[in-house]
Amino acid sequence: MRQVWVILRREYIERVRTKGFIIATIAMPVLMIGLLGLSVFLGLQAERSARDLALVDLTGQLGEEVAAGMEAVGYDVELVDAGIAMQEMDRRVLEDEIEAYVILDDLTLQEGAFAYRGKDSPGRVRAALFENVVVETVLERRLSFAGSTAGLQELLRGGRMSFESLGDEQSEMERVSGIATGFGGAFLLYFTMLFYGAYVLRSVLDEKRNRVVEVVVSSVSPWRLMLGKILGVGSMGLTQVGIWVGCAALIGLLGLPMIAANWPAADVGELSQLLPGVGSLGLLLVFFLLGYFLYSSLFAAVGAMCSTEEEAQQAQFPVMMLLIIPFIMQMTSIEGSGLPWMDWAALFPFFSPIMMYPRAVAGAVPWWMVGTSLVLMAAALIGTAWVAGRIYRVGILMQGKRPTLRELVRWVRQA
Amino acid sequence: MSEHAVQLSGVTKRFGEHTAVADFDLQIPRGTILGLLGPNGSGKTTTIRMIMAILLPDRGTVELLGGSPDFERRSRVGYLPEERGVYEKMKVLEQLVFMGELRGMTRQIVRRRAMEWLERLGLEEWASKKVQQLSKGMQQKVQFIGTVLHDPDLLILDEPFSGLDPINQDILESIVREQRQKGTTILFSTHLMEQAERLCERVCLISRSRKVLDGNLKELKRRERTGAVAVEFEGDDGWLTRLGVTNPERVDDAYHIGAGYGIEPDRLLATAVSERVELRRFELLEPSLHEIFVAHAGPPETEPALRALGGVQ
Repeated sequence: MRQVWVILRREYIERVRTKGFIIATIAMPVLMIGLLGLSVFLGLQAERSARDLALVDLTGQLGEEVAAGMEAVGYDVELVDAGIAMQEMDRRVLEDEIEAYVILDDLTLQEGAFAYRGKDSPGRVRAALFENVVVETVLERRLSFAGSTAGLQELLRGGRMSFESLGDEQSEMERVSGIATGFGGAFLLYFTMLFYGAYVLRSVLDEKRNRVVEVVVSSVSPWRLMLGKILGVGSMGLTQVGIWVGCAALIGLLGLPMIAANWPAADVGELSQLLPGVGSLGLLLVFFLLGYFLYSSLFAAVGAMCSTEEEAQQAQFPVMMLLIIPFIMQMTSIEGSGLPWMDWAALFPFFSPIMMYPRAVAGAVPWWMVGTSLVLMAAALIGTAWVAGRIYRVGILMQGKRPTLRELVRWVRQA
Repeated sequence: MSEHAVQLSGVTKRFGEHTAVADFDLQIPRGTILGLLGPNGSGKTTTIRMIMAILLPDRGTVELLGGSPDFERRSRVGYLPEERGVYEKMKVLEQLVFMGELRGMTRQIVRRRAMEWLERLGLEEWASKKVQQLSKGMQQKVQFIGTVLHDPDLLILDEPFSGLDPINQDILESIVREQRQKGTTILFSTHLMEQAERLCERVCLISRSRKVLDGNLKELKRRERTGAVAVEFEGDDGWLTRLGVTNPERVDDAYHIGAGYGIEPDRLLATAVSERVELRRFELLEPSLHEIFVAHAGPPETEPALRALGGVQ
C-alpha cells in the first residue's frame, strides 16, 4: 500500500503544482464572481452617483407622496414650486446642478404617465422604481374616493397563489432546490468525470510513451500503479471541486445576509431553502466517487491500449459516448424526471451518475431505485476495474499498433 | 541462493512471423559482468525485456536472482531500458526520490543518496530543475542514477553508453566497474565491441536471434587464437626472411606474422634468441571480439536492422 501512496502522492503533487491546475481552480470562481460582482458594482455606482433629482408637481396633489416614495427607494428629491419656468429647470440639469427632473401633470393623475427630463436615460431600474412609485400614489389617491383601499391594493399588486402540497411533504422551495441541485450536480458530474478521466488517460499514455512505465513496473505491480494513478488524479479532482464548492458556500453565506440587508422585501428564510442540503451534497460525493472510478478505469485501459495521442483520441470515443448519451438524455428532462423509460435507463451503471443523481435529489424516483443504482454501480465498478486492470497490465508494456477487440479479449483472459 | 543471477533456458520469443529470440540459453554467474553483444535487431533488447518480465517468453524459462522474476526480485534489479524513460516535467531530485521510494527506501535516505550521486556526476546544480531542461546526456545520467540508487543486486543496462560523449562514457564505465567491485552482477548490452572488450569478464554474442557463443572473455580469446604473433625489435629484419617470412604485415613498428607462414611461435622465439635479435615485444596475437564475432556470425552489419520491438503478439 505504501507504493500506491507514493504513486498517488506523485500524481497529486505533480498535477496540483501545474500552472494549469492553479489557473483553472482559481480563475473559474474568481472569473464568475468577478464578472457578477463587477456588473452589480458598476450598476450600483451609476445609480448612486446620480440621484439628485427635482420634482415639479403641476397637479398640486401628488408631489409630496411621490417625493417621499422616491426618497424611500434611495433618491434625493427636491420638490420644486410648480410656478418655476421650465427653462430654469432645464438649465439646472444642463449645468449639472441636478441629474434630472420629473414632471407630474394632469395626465399623470389620469393614467399614470409622467415625464423624466435629463441628459442621460434613466435606465431600466430607475424607470421601474419611479413608475411603481407614481402608479401606486395615483392609484391610492383615486381609490381613496371609492372607499376602503386596503384589500384593493393587495389585489392590484397581482394576488398570490400558494402551493399546498398533497402527498409528499416537499415544499415548493424544496422542489425547486432539488431540481436546481440535480441539474448542477449532473453538470458537475459530467464535466468532472470527463476531464479527470481524460487526465488519467493522459497520465497513462505519457508514462507508456516515454517508457518510464517499464522501470516503474519493475518494482510495482501494474494494478497498484493504476490504482495509485486513479486515486492521485481523483484527489486532485476532489481538491479542485472542494475549492469551488467552498467558494460557492462562502458566497452563499456572505451573500444571503447581504441580500437580506439590501432587499428587505426578500424572504431570506425561503431563499436559503434553495441552497442544496448536506444530504444532497453527500449523495453527490458518493455518485462522484463511484462514477469517477468507473470511468477513470475505463480511461486508464484506453490509455494503456494506445501508443500515440492520435490513437488515444480515437479510442476514447466510445467511452466519451457513454458519458455524452446520458448527458443529452438528462438535458431533455431538466425537471428531474422525463419520459418514464429514462428512469430505467438511469439504472444503467454507466448512466447512473448523470441520470440518477438529479432524479434522486429532485425526488423524482423512489429511493429503492436510487439504492439499486448505487449497488449496480458498485458491482459494475468491480467488474470494470477487473477488466481494465487486465488490459492495463498487458497494454502498458506493449508498443506498436492498437490491439483488435479479439486481442483485447485475450489480454483479459491471460492469466 | 542460486549461483546464477540470471538463468535462461530454451527461451524463444516470436512476434508474428518474426522470431526475435530463438532457443536462447544464458547463465550469468553472480558477481560477474557480462556483455550482451550483437548488431541492432539481433534480439538483445527482447532478451532483456524477457529477463525483466516485461515480455513473457513463448517457450523456455527465465530465472532471476534464483527464482521467477516476481516484483520482489525485480525490485532488487536496477534496470535501465533502452529507450530513455524519465518524467520530463518532474524535478530531477524529486524524480529520483520517487524511484527510490517505490523500491521501499525511506525519503531521507533516498534524498541523501540521490544528492551524493548527483554531486558525483556533476549534476548537483540541476537537482531542482525540471528534467526536460536537461540535455539528453544529462537526462541519461539522471536515469542511470535512478538505476543504481537502491543498491541493486543486479544491474541490467540496455545500451547504457549510447548517446554519451567520451568523457561521460568514461565516468559511467568507472561507475560500472565500481559496482562490480561491490559485488553487483552486471548485464549490459551494446553493439560497441571495444567497449565490451574493456569492461566485460564474460560475453554473449548473439546474431540473427540466436546465440553465437558465450563464455569468459579471456578464455574465449585464448581459444580463438590463430597462432599469429606480433614481434617488435631493433635492427634489420633479415632473420625473418631467413625463416621464410617474406613481406610480413606491418602494424606501426611491429611485424604481424600470421599462421599462414606455418611457423610455430616457439620456433620463432627460439630463432630470435639464437640470432641475438634485440626484442622489444613478442606477443601471441589474440583476435579482437569483432574478429571473433565475424568469424562466427559473418559480418554483423549485413543483417537488416530489424528492430526487435516488443510489438503486439
